[in-house]
Amino acid sequence: MLTYILRRLFSIAFILVGVSVIVFLIVNVMPGDVAHFIAGQFASADVIEAIRARLGLDQPLGVRYWHWASAFLSGNLGDSIVMQRPIGPMVTEAFGRSALLAAVSFVFVAVFGILFGVLAALNHNRAVDHITSIFTYLGISVPEFFWGIVLILFFAGYLQILPSGGFVPLSQGFGPWAAHLVLPAATLTFTLIAHISRQTRSSMLEVLTSNYVRNARAKGMPERLVLMRHALKNALLPTVTVLAIDIGWLLGGIVVIESVFSFPGIGRLLLFAIERHDIALIQASVLLITTAYCLSNLAADVVYAYLNPKIRYA
Amino acid sequence: MKRHLLRLLAAASLGLGLVATTFAAGTINIAIGSSLNTLDPNVVRIGEEYVFNGLVYNGLVRIDANGRIQPDLATSWAASSDLKKWTFQLRHGVKFHSGREMEADDVVAMVNRVLDKAVGSTARGNLSMVTETKAVGKYSVEFTLSQPYAGFPDLFAEHQMKVVPRDKIGSLGVQPDGTGPFKFVSYTPGDRVVLAKNPAYYLPGEPKLDGVVLRIIPETAAQIVALHSGEIDIAWNVSPEMVSLLKSEPAIAIDTVATGAWEGLIMNNTTKPFDDPRVRKAVAAAIDKQTLVDAVLLGRGTTTLSPIPSNSVYFNSDIKIGPADIAAAKKLLTEAGYPNGFETSLYLPIGRPTRERLGIVASEALKAVGIKVTLQRVPWDQFNKEIEGKAPFYADGFFSRSTIDTSVYPFYHSSGSWNSGLWHYKNADVDRLLDEARATASDAERVKLYKQFQAAIQTDVPSVIAYNVNHTNAVNKKVVGFKSSPLLLLNLSSVSIGQ
Repeated sequence: MLTYILRRLFSIAFILVGVSVIVFLIVNVMPGDVAHFIAGQFASADVIEAIRARLGLDQPLGVRYWHWASAFLSGNLGDSIVMQRPIGPMVTEAFGRSALLAAVSFVFVAVFGILFGVLAALNHNRAVDHITSIFTYLGISVPEFFWGIVLILFFAGYLQILPSGGFVPLSQGFGPWAAHLVLPAATLTFTLIAHISRQTRSSMLEVLTSNYVRNARAKGMPERLVLMRHALKNALLPTVTVLAIDIGWLLGGIVVIESVFSFPGIGRLLLFAIERHDIALIQASVLLITTAYCLSNLAADVVYAYLNPKIRYA
Repeated sequence: MKRHLLRLLAAASLGLGLVATTFAAGTINIAIGSSLNTLDPNVVRIGEEYVFNGLVYNGLVRIDANGRIQPDLATSWAASSDLKKWTFQLRHGVKFHSGREMEADDVVAMVNRVLDKAVGSTARGNLSMVTETKAVGKYSVEFTLSQPYAGFPDLFAEHQMKVVPRDKIGSLGVQPDGTGPFKFVSYTPGDRVVLAKNPAYYLPGEPKLDGVVLRIIPETAAQIVALHSGEIDIAWNVSPEMVSLLKSEPAIAIDTVATGAWEGLIMNNTTKPFDDPRVRKAVAAAIDKQTLVDAVLLGRGTTTLSPIPSNSVYFNSDIKIGPADIAAAKKLLTEAGYPNGFETSLYLPIGRPTRERLGIVASEALKAVGIKVTLQRVPWDQFNKEIEGKAPFYADGFFSRSTIDTSVYPFYHSSGSWNSGLWHYKNADVDRLLDEARATASDAERVKLYKQFQAAIQTDVPSVIAYNVNHTNAVNKKVVGFKSSPLLLLNLSSVSIGQ
């Protein structure tokens, strides 16, 4: 198992190098560059050249990549070209806020998704089943920006019990901090919950008709124990995989959610950087997101192996 | 009482306690639509940055509500008789937020910085006639120009011409340091800019507020909700669509001012069929400008002849802006050899709703005279690189510029820096008028020359300036003393918050 994890970590390093090269190349083929952005629409060619020279953009592509990569590896993320601010603290703070939002949503998705799935399976083809189906499908089939705005209008506009957006650090008190997280986390949860509840429901239905569940019931085991010990534990295996995939969805969906709720996270920072061709800022943000994605996938595989004795990685 | 109940409700239903973040009573919360690209005052380029600049920094001069130049960090200025040597006297005892006194050397360093090509300041083009800048003593700066230029002091009202401490230039992006009414506290990209009162501001008794928070809220619905719930006090530069949604809010006032910002249908004067002035005049004749204002801006704009807005002293009100004249347009097209019209593409940048609507309304109007327009929506980067200055026909637009010369000369003079990136217009009469307007010392003469310029561009129609866009702020009625600025700035020095 340990060698497996080490091997995976090793391959993640390769993925990161590959991603950084691809990002570098894509930014270079995008129309316009950061010098155009700084100088504005009608800058003359000599001004663009002067800015390029100041930023080292007149160097060949390979040299520029080497400069960036060697600085990056020695821990120097550099400055955002457009903002003239150090990238390190900016990216880590933004990532921290996004990770917080993602983690809260992830917990909501896991807890409520499994709960709804089990309830639906136990009440198969009854009202509870249909209601949870409709509810979760509503979440997944309508885009998140719509539900985000609906929640803002209702809770911030009509009831006025929650703020419409933004972020407040924990240092300003638990109340405001949590209040600013509720709506974006609820929106993310709502758009993702169908994955988990549907998966849990179908595998639960399958397990409930299996021989070992019938056996457990036949030997007179209390229904609660049948459900918890035999049925749910087995039914959750595929759910774990879906949860891991959902981490990817979370990282993607969070870009939209952050815009709707004016939440200062890594998604919006990345979008900002891409629109301005700010290569060092793009690289740092993309690599951080990629790392998070790879590590969460690895964690899912490890947890899966732990839960399912039939799976063995070598 | 209501607020108290809401808090109770919040606490009860969510167990979260206090919901709205509490700030000092005199702090104003303002929504802006986009993150600031940079805090460096000499390279700012977007409205949100201009707002920040205006709160934290000062220029040598400023423009008052009537468009007149007023002293700011300079108390007076004078020119030699040939208008080629200008001397500015600086205000004594003005301190940067970091504590040092502002001196003539700071002004010289700022001007040299703006002139440095590699810095990339958009104000550089305005200063092309400056050959020498030098400090004379501690409180006086002398400029030598290569040509007579009567509007020279006006250039120091430009957004980028803010005085910065010469020893802090490298760190302005992280720690802004100005002389303005508010000093920088913090900036979280994507979230907010926090400013605090500058107690040492040179105008006694100002500012009245304790602080300013600029909240970055891109979503219109979120801005409306935040206004409604009192989370924000002002929404800056709201769209025409948002204004109509706010009509039913009793606590919100809509404050509007006409500006020099404009949008238009740009025709490339060097490519067929628009190289023929008759074709350009036909396009202009086919379009009803008042319809554009009503349909595109939902009424929040004014018709105009050139970038000069109708409320300017330079506006030529003798020229009538009439309704569309289909017969005249068809006649012009026939004379130009297009009796059955022609087909063309109109390029529109994606993500600018008013310009997209402008394209749709214009294409319908042109259909009536036989010009079949295909609308092509193009991403902004590609629009900048491949369309502007190159494509035959596209919709474009510009922010207000601070001075009459910089609003007109770069666009219409054949040597103008923006002309070649836009419509490639060439008219010797116009060149002469604009050069004379630059060189005349008489205000009345200058007004006359700019009126003649507006008449001159009716003869060969460089392109269609569709309208001037109004600048609108949504303001909570408890905000006292706020007035929208034609330059889109937020002048908060004398603003306070009532109960």
